[in-house]
Amino acid sequence: MAYTPQYGPGQSVVAENRRKQMNPNVKLEKMRNVTDEDIVLILGHRAPGQAYPTAHPPLAEQGEPDCPIRKIVTPTDGAKAGDRVRYIQFADSVYNAPSQPYQRTYTEMYRYRGIDPGTLSGRQIIECRERDLEKISADLINTNLFDPARVGIRGATVHGHSLRLAEDGMMFDMLQRCILEGGTVKYVKDQIGTPLDKKVDVGKPMDDAWLKANTTMFHSLVGTAYRSDAEYIEYIQRIHSLRTKYGFMPVE
Amino acid sequence: MAKIERAQKLFLKALKNKFEGDVAETKTEFYKFGGLNQSARKKEFMEASKKVELRRGISMYDPNRCHLGGLPMGQRQLMTYEVSGTGTFVEGDDLHFVNNPAMQQMWDDIRRTIIVNMDLAHSTLQKRLGKEITPETINEYLHILNHAMPGGAVVQEHMVETHPSVVDDCYVKVFTGDSELADQLEKQFVLDVNKLFPAKQAEQLNEAVGKSLWQAIHIPTIVSRTCDGGTTSRWSAMQIGMSFITAYRMCAGEAAVADLSFAAKHAGVIQMASHLPARRARGPNEPGGIMFGHFSDMIQANRKYPNDPAKASLEVVGAGCMLFDQIWLGSYMSGGVGFTQYATAAYTDNILDEYTYYGMDYIKDKYKVDWKACSPADKVKPTQEIVNDIAGEVTLNAMEQYEQFPTLMEDHFGGSQRAGVIAAASGLSTAIATANSNAGLNGWYLSMLMHKEGWSRLGFFGYDLQDQCGSTNSLSVRPEEGCIGEYRGPNYPNYAMNVGHQGEYAAIVGSSHYTRNDGFCLSPMIKITFADPSLPFDFAEPRKEFAKGAIREFVACGERTLLMPAR
Repeated sequence: MAYTPQYGPGQSVVAENRRKQMNPNVKLEKMRNVTDEDIVLILGHRAPGQAYPTAHPPLAEQGEPDCPIRKIVTPTDGAKAGDRVRYIQFADSVYNAPSQPYQRTYTEMYRYRGIDPGTLSGRQIIECRERDLEKISADLINTNLFDPARVGIRGATVHGHSLRLAEDGMMFDMLQRCILEGGTVKYVKDQIGTPLDKKVDVGKPMDDAWLKANTTMFHSLVGTAYRSDAEYIEYIQRIHSLRTKYGFMPVE
Repeated sequence: MAKIERAQKLFLKALKNKFEGDVAETKTEFYKFGGLNQSARKKEFMEASKKVELRRGISMYDPNRCHLGGLPMGQRQLMTYEVSGTGTFVEGDDLHFVNNPAMQQMWDDIRRTIIVNMDLAHSTLQKRLGKEITPETINEYLHILNHAMPGGAVVQEHMVETHPSVVDDCYVKVFTGDSELADQLEKQFVLDVNKLFPAKQAEQLNEAVGKSLWQAIHIPTIVSRTCDGGTTSRWSAMQIGMSFITAYRMCAGEAAVADLSFAAKHAGVIQMASHLPARRARGPNEPGGIMFGHFSDMIQANRKYPNDPAKASLEVVGAGCMLFDQIWLGSYMSGGVGFTQYATAAYTDNILDEYTYYGMDYIKDKYKVDWKACSPADKVKPTQEIVNDIAGEVTLNAMEQYEQFPTLMEDHFGGSQRAGVIAAASGLSTAIATANSNAGLNGWYLSMLMHKEGWSRLGFFGYDLQDQCGSTNSLSVRPEEGCIGEYRGPNYPNYAMNVGHQGEYAAIVGSSHYTRNDGFCLSPMIKITFADPSLPFDFAEPRKEFAKGAIREFVACGERTLLMPAR
């Protein structure tokens, strides 16, 4: 019998949002249209139009060893071309940002190939071949996984996820890589903090009602209380109990 | 699990002092605070650096140029911190151990301590050499030893010696469970268990020590700083040997001296910490080898506050985070300044205190544990269901406090800070309710899983990797798989690079004993040794001592200024 992933427990809207983000059969909702060129500018790894720097020759040219794993795994476009491995990193506010660090990692692992996510409390990074990264970044920025005000694209000096919001609703960013101007959020620095020659508009911040309905983090003040999802808590306690008992006496 | 009412929020005073405006508001202002200039300490650093640069001609502290290529800290409000349980507000910088002599002295006092049994030596002197041992001879020996231990010569006629003012923190006392013998020894040399400890604790300690006689030795701070923890037993053994030779008129070269040396260096020695494997390459008496049970014995708050196991445990958290996070992992194993930000979260602003006392209210309300009575009688059986219930409720409450008070979340702005604090409160509450250290550790790991799933974030991977797999080893006691909490330590495999955990683990272990009013957790000898009021650092009040160090009121030992030109 084929395994059907359930993508986690819970009866709350938060739990349901988590399942929807993770499930690759659910199409991510397109929310904005940041161009490919603008995404390249925010990433800051190469100039728009510049050829992709390579870490090795294209696979077709360098000659692959006779390896059964290579026969099973189809290389991504970036791997085929020999692209460098580069990154995009997000900081997600605790105030109802649509995705959150572990949720991002789970979602990306279900939806994309050839990626290496890293998950921390205030940020989540994904590394992969550069041309693959640009495609994935377009998804991550243009869909319902992103909010211009509560999600930051930050390579370093990422703190802000846990801080109060600024009066205009923006998440704190020490480097002020993006600003709210004329009702939309504009990136004035790339993700590592280098000033951009032109501002990159990533759209209008979503309103509080949308954020509350679409977030994947429990929050008793501004969102859905964790305590209210009894099934979720019961499930975690069950996992913990089973792990404990097996560690104590593996025969049980 | 069900939330209980608790009107008192111990952290509110600190939040109101730290942040402008309503501490429960979700919005504020940034980028207007003047960067570093909002901090008196940072300004002091910049001034001091200018003087250093003028003197030595090499550039130094220059945050306005060097931090993020010209963007200084302080784009948001730079916070002060209240050292929990003290009412003293300090700057974060004052809690880095380099800036805090009390912190240094706490570690110095542990590293320079060794406990040596006297019965083996007495047996050698009596049975092998036919010498008479009496209280008078022991007193004379202790006089000689207190001359020799700091660096006084006792046998040779032409010797270098140390300056007493530089080694004035070095001395030896003794203790025994035999009150008749203790009464016959000079008071200046005796750690009087009956006077230092509450009656029930003293009774247990006296019974455990029995008629044996032990020396609590503290070699000079300056010696252990110049050398290392492995020096302590060697320095003390040399001076013990010479003192026996003098006190009992032995031949300096006779074979029996070897027996005394063996007893003082190996057979009768209790090190504060065991040596570490080659990969970590430290001798005995270095932080990585301290077992959590021993550390809980070093900290003395349960002696001073026998009816408040929560406070006693919180003092262990503070001391343990300082030693294991800031000094051991933060400097011995890593380096730099980052670890202080982690560690201080657990002993500042009364946040962990509030979460832990919520747990106390909960176990009293639901399980009728009279936690202030500290009796084994009303403890709860540590079933998985009960552990899940207590740790689960304490975790949910703590998460809700961070949510309800956005400034609290901003105070603990890193996930690892929050994770350690929430899990510590959960583990302490569970251990205090059950008097079982492993049940407490199990509560810690449930807390971590619940935290991670609730907020979809935890610490960083180097921090929380162990927490995500920890449930499984929390009740394992077979070799190579686990241990009871008392015998775990910073070098236990799953904890070995686990910043932000070890002080809390030690406290969980200690709390399971403090809640029973036990005289000791793992070693009665260590418990008695650190009860000594002559020690420069007061092990009953580590957080107060750290606060004193932060506001520059603590006087440390091992100073060299006497030997240098005045500046």
